[in-house]
Amino acid sequence: MFGISNIASSKIDMETVMPFREKLAWLSLGAMVVAYGAYFAVAAQLARSGAATPMTYLALLGAVLGAQALVVIVASIALAIQSGRDSRAPADERDRAIARRGAAFAYFVLLVGMVLVGCVLPFSARGWAIINAGLLALVLAEVVRYGAIVWSYRRGWHG
Amino acid sequence: MAEPAITNQIRLLRFMAGEMTQAELGARIGLTRQTIAAIEAGKYSPTLEAAFRIAQVFGKPLDAVFQWNG
Repeated sequence: MFGISNIASSKIDMETVMPFREKLAWLSLGAMVVAYGAYFAVAAQLARSGAATPMTYLALLGAVLGAQALVVIVASIALAIQSGRDSRAPADERDRAIARRGAAFAYFVLLVGMVLVGCVLPFSARGWAIINAGLLALVLAEVVRYGAIVWSYRRGWHG
Repeated sequence: MAEPAITNQIRLLRFMAGEMTQAELGARIGLTRQTIAAIEAGKYSPTLEAAFRIAQVFGKPLDAVFQWNG
């Protein structure tokens, strides 16, 4: 008589291999945190110095967007090559359920952020402070989305 | 961590089906290998349709594959 534990060492099928979509979520999350962490750190310094012009912010934002896009594209290609067949498999019901969960969490973050930026901030701030606050709301929503996705893949999801 | 409310015998049934791999099972029912692994580990509860498809692959009734411990 054998039990489940005896079977564990039979054909394991690389159970611990991370799903391709989880790898992409980790990549996107990391790139976003690093890129926009740097952007907001520099933007805060510029705001304190009082020497920033709109072109300074635009150039900084353009550089960050470009660098983030480049890193994500190159790393996604590398991940797809490394993952082989997994990267070509269409999303299944679990992938779709996890993606929906991430979007649902992010929606509320974005909603609160946009209400603050659109309805509260104009009374106390102007110009790039409002633009940066809006950008921060978008970034936080995306971080929550990718965070919920990697959390759901790691810890399980019974939705 | 609490025991999952739904347990299953998929790993045992795979073994008894000639050591069917997770990838083979997944390919037959339209799920990825990782999703089969997550179901076996109790980290994902499949949809009712996927549960019936899994049971069909092994030629078993649904309650021989999945058990509700709620």
